[in-house]
Amino acid sequence: MMVVENTIDTFDSPSEERIAKDRYQTDAMWIYMGPQHPFSHGLWTLKVRVDGEIVTDAEPVIGYLHRGWEKEAENREYPKIIPMADRLCYSASMTYTHLYCMTVEKALGIEVPEKAEYIRIVADEICRIQSHLMWLAAVGTDLGNLTIFLWGMREREYWLDLNVRLCGQRMTTNYPRIGGVRNDTTDIFDRDVMRCTERFEKALWDLIDMIDSSSIYVSRMKGISRLTREQCANLGVTGPAMRGCGVDFDLRRDDPYGKYENIDFEVPVLTEGDTYARYMVRIEEMFQSCEIIRQAVRKINALGKNAPYRLKVPSKVPAGKAFCKLEDPRGESLMYLISDGTDKPFRLKVRAPLFTNISASRPMVKGVRVADVPAVMAMIDVCMGETDR
Amino acid sequence: MPIKYLDKYPKNPARSLWVLKPMWVSLRLFFRTVRHRPVTILYPYEKEWIPDNYRGRPGLRFDKCVGCGVCSRMCPTGCIKMVEVADDDGKMVMRPQVFVGRCAFCGYCAEYCPVNAMTVTPEYELAELFKEDMFYGPRRLNFKDTTPGMEVHLEVTLQSDIDAGSPEKRYHPHEIDKPVVDEDACIGCKKCQKVCPVDAVEMVEKGLNAKGKPKLVPLFDPKKCICCNNCVIDCPKDAIHIEEVL
Repeated sequence: MMVVENTIDTFDSPSEERIAKDRYQTDAMWIYMGPQHPFSHGLWTLKVRVDGEIVTDAEPVIGYLHRGWEKEAENREYPKIIPMADRLCYSASMTYTHLYCMTVEKALGIEVPEKAEYIRIVADEICRIQSHLMWLAAVGTDLGNLTIFLWGMREREYWLDLNVRLCGQRMTTNYPRIGGVRNDTTDIFDRDVMRCTERFEKALWDLIDMIDSSSIYVSRMKGISRLTREQCANLGVTGPAMRGCGVDFDLRRDDPYGKYENIDFEVPVLTEGDTYARYMVRIEEMFQSCEIIRQAVRKINALGKNAPYRLKVPSKVPAGKAFCKLEDPRGESLMYLISDGTDKPFRLKVRAPLFTNISASRPMVKGVRVADVPAVMAMIDVCMGETDR
Repeated sequence: MPIKYLDKYPKNPARSLWVLKPMWVSLRLFFRTVRHRPVTILYPYEKEWIPDNYRGRPGLRFDKCVGCGVCSRMCPTGCIKMVEVADDDGKMVMRPQVFVGRCAFCGYCAEYCPVNAMTVTPEYELAELFKEDMFYGPRRLNFKDTTPGMEVHLEVTLQSDIDAGSPEKRYHPHEIDKPVVDEDACIGCKKCQKVCPVDAVEMVEKGLNAKGKPKLVPLFDPKKCICCNNCVIDCPKDAIHIEEVL
């Protein structure tokens, strides 16, 4: 990623003079979108300053869902943090638990069995697909297409059923463990997954035919809210929102964790940088995830039924520091662990992708119409659980 | 691996058809749903099939439970409490009680139970009118159709086994770990013998104490021990620790 000169505005709150100036200006006003607003998925506020129909300024306000997650994690033993990491974001629960387990494994200096790594890849990609489907459903309602909400949710159910077969729970999965995974795959899981991916690809083409060839739907997204690669790099935007702006970077390919280096897949990148490009990147990612699942399931089958999948780990982590990063459905998430030799972490820092992506909302919504703000903000797939922590 | 959607779709001639393609897709779905049944079910009357490993509320097999308290210590939300109840013979024993209102359905109690007495159950309709009704006592926790599939096994492999070239699965830490007593720190108070849920501790005379009198130290029966840590926690002199084999 290249970083060039700072092209973005500063994030200072409006000065006294500007507020005083605004007070007597009748053509510009501040609108509070949120915390209870149909457009905001989760509790957050987007203050937008409008001049007629056009947004001239914006400021995100977050913190309504702060639960003290990081402090709470300091008072728990290492295995007990895994169910909590599920609750960081309910639709990315598998990736957050995977990330936490990877971080502790790095601090312990152990190597996870190969089978567990491939099972985690399958679980991660199922999580990515169902998270993207959830996003598609939300986009549908934001753009006034309720059919796509129902269809997206219907397809998501099949993936959640696979989660139940894998670990017994639909959303807060609690599946990865420090040193492996909770349980082995069930007998017919590979068959179920293969069928589901094949079925899903057909269904996804149906979904695309339904919305993407409708010019009414597409015209709401095309050409609005352009971001450049330089802005993306400077703002720290990651994930599909960044790849839609022409930055060719994916942690799964460029800094592979687990066993992703053995898996062959493409990273979709578009250079348009508008809302529609971010939309198309996510749709393509779902197809690529299906392919990754198929390859990983084949590798699991090749390893055989009796391969080990969980290591026994010590209850105490030696003093030290470790950090790991991972490609979340929404971007790049990172955990930083400082351990002091006891069975509880001294500090556990989470870098949520949405925290930085939301901070990019000002250059994103600048210049668009008020009616297009939901369409713009839906493309970063807002999840407040991980943002406020 | 080619890119599927991005290569194929923007060149698709169907995109210039305004809204005709989506209309055709929804019409096709209409005919399909008329022909076949819809995917929805009438929920309160018919229920979806759920597999055995579904993590509903925790279940307890009263007779198998030894009352070691591992579930209550492993619970991340602290919703499990050990309570005293009469067993079938009228003897008072310690058994877990679950406050389902706080349960996070993580399944740790079933996973870490050394005797697999705790299970997951497919019961998920747990709404009650009063908070008191959400306390599931040891008898109420029993799920009558418990199958072996509802047990959660903790199967681990040792790194030393993998290094030695024979990666076999061990079924519980208690098959591997052993409590070890520091005989100099031990004062022979027999507390470990009292708190042991499976009577794996036997006090034997060994050596002499500072006053020159014979001294009692615990001897652990490795076959009976379930590695529940009760003796480690309750030892007044911190003389016992679990030796972790990795």
